Amino acid sequence: MTAIRSKPLRRRKSPLGSRWTPYLLFGPAVLYIVVFQAVPLLQEIWLSFTRTSLLNPGRSVWVGISNYTTVFASESFRQTLLTTLLYVIVCVIGAVVSGLVVALLLNAKFPGRGIARALVTVPWAAPGIATALIATWMLNAQYGIVSRTLNALGLGVGGGGILDNAELALPAILLTTIWQLFPFVSVVLLSALQSVPEELVEAAKMDGAGRAWVFRVVTWQVIKPTVGLVALLITIWSLRRFELIWLMTRGGPLGSTRTLVIDLYSQAFDSKQLGTAAAIGMVGIMISLIVIVGARFVTRATERES
Amino acid sequence: MLAVLVVLGIAVFPLYWIFTTALTSDSELFGSEPRLIPDLSRFPVFIEALVDGQTLIWLRNSLIVAVGTTVLSIGLGIPLGYALSRFSFRGKVAIGVLLLFTQMLPEALLVVPLFALFRQFGLLDSLQGLILADTAFVLPIVALILKGAIDGVPRELEEAARVDGARPLGVLLRINIPLIAPSIAAAAVIAFFSAWNEYVFAVTFVFDKSLQPASVGLAGFIGEQGTQIQTIMAVAFLFTLPAVAFYLFAQKYVVSGMTAGAVKG
Repeated sequence: MTAIRSKPLRRRKSPLGSRWTPYLLFGPAVLYIVVFQAVPLLQEIWLSFTRTSLLNPGRSVWVGISNYTTVFASESFRQTLLTTLLYVIVCVIGAVVSGLVVALLLNAKFPGRGIARALVTVPWAAPGIATALIATWMLNAQYGIVSRTLNALGLGVGGGGILDNAELALPAILLTTIWQLFPFVSVVLLSALQSVPEELVEAAKMDGAGRAWVFRVVTWQVIKPTVGLVALLITIWSLRRFELIWLMTRGGPLGSTRTLVIDLYSQAFDSKQLGTAAAIGMVGIMISLIVIVGARFVTRATERES
Repeated sequence: MLAVLVVLGIAVFPLYWIFTTALTSDSELFGSEPRLIPDLSRFPVFIEALVDGQTLIWLRNSLIVAVGTTVLSIGLGIPLGYALSRFSFRGKVAIGVLLLFTQMLPEALLVVPLFALFRQFGLLDSLQGLILADTAFVLPIVALILKGAIDGVPRELEEAARVDGARPLGVLLRINIPLIAPSIAAAAVIAFFSAWNEYVFAVTFVFDKSLQPASVGLAGFIGEQGTQIQTIMAVAFLFTLPAVAFYLFAQKYVVSGMTAGAVKG
């Protein structure tokens, strides 16, 4: 007897519910992001072509690209760009190199490895304000442990302390930032290191290969893409980082720690110039986009090579 | 291994120093011989820091904002992650780009338009406003993590449930969610501490002292002369401890949750 089917089995394109299901699922979230991020961004773009005061934000005067020309012509913005460039480059190199070293160290087997791996995340987990507070205290000219140690070693910095010194403030901020960032790099690279085939490493060592050779030929090849990804991430993040610098130096002394984001915020809330602030912000976004696009090119190019 | 100990020392020292400074007497702090080991007999300074002044209020505010952000971002993120994982629809690529693009945007940039928006809707000086702002920034990460996790759930399980007559949405989510629980936990931890640590929105949108989260309260101590450094450090420690403790506890899940999202996404 032939089986009687009451309803033929249908193959649906969407696996469940009506075709509206996906929209219901992602709709609220996407709408949320659009309202709280995309729309403000569009507003910022518009603001960048106006002269608007924080005190009277309803009244905007259209000034075309004059904010941009003023900004690019200004000496102080050139300083901002240079400072930002320096900041980003040192952050990335510092965080990636130190993170990689720590990841390699933590990859070895030793007792208490689990605890070590957990403890190393402390700088990443600590709130930025707490880090800023303790760093400022440690760098306090008279009583901070760093100043005291330096003085004891004869490397005294003199009167105002490190954060008031136009040449030392940025390095101090950079060291603090790298301290915050390296755990993230370590943790990600540590996972990547798990993919390195141990048998290859062991075999190479048994053939008498030196550690450097093993690293260069085996390990590095495996983790290279992850290192690239992490470096890109840190680069983009560096262009956004605000808290630590704002809390520790406000961009001073003499603008030596004034990065793009600090400049932006200062223009908006200190100088009350929303238009200029927006223009600076847009420059920052452009730079981020260039970095991302550039990174994709580099990745494609290196992939084609291998 | 010596190198590991050095690294751990560097990682942990500032936190240790917060703790130690809180427990140091004035004469030792400002004298010529700085104290390196905390004086545990001065422990009451933490109790005082907790009870006096604004500390409890600050911590309460931080807690409210963090919990609110976590709930809202997970609530929006699970459906979003699920949609991105299981469906193809028009605009899917655009949404993916949007999510990644938002990672580039600095809070300091969006603070001004958001300020205007919040003022219009009376959301300034409110914890709800902070929850809304913080969620917006953490939602993309949460969604990407959860999408990656859901990608890892075999579709056969969902098929089987459907064949068994499961109603499409509700029960299917009840299959997926238990399976991706670690990633949900990881995303929740990330969302929680993203909001707990948040400073820029908090300092810009909230002026009412009784509504300030601890991040703003603590920031007020920088450069201010009135409060004792030990008290400041004690409050800082109380604020930092939950964040660090949780990360230490949850870091295994956070890492696997994040890398699952990053690798698959």
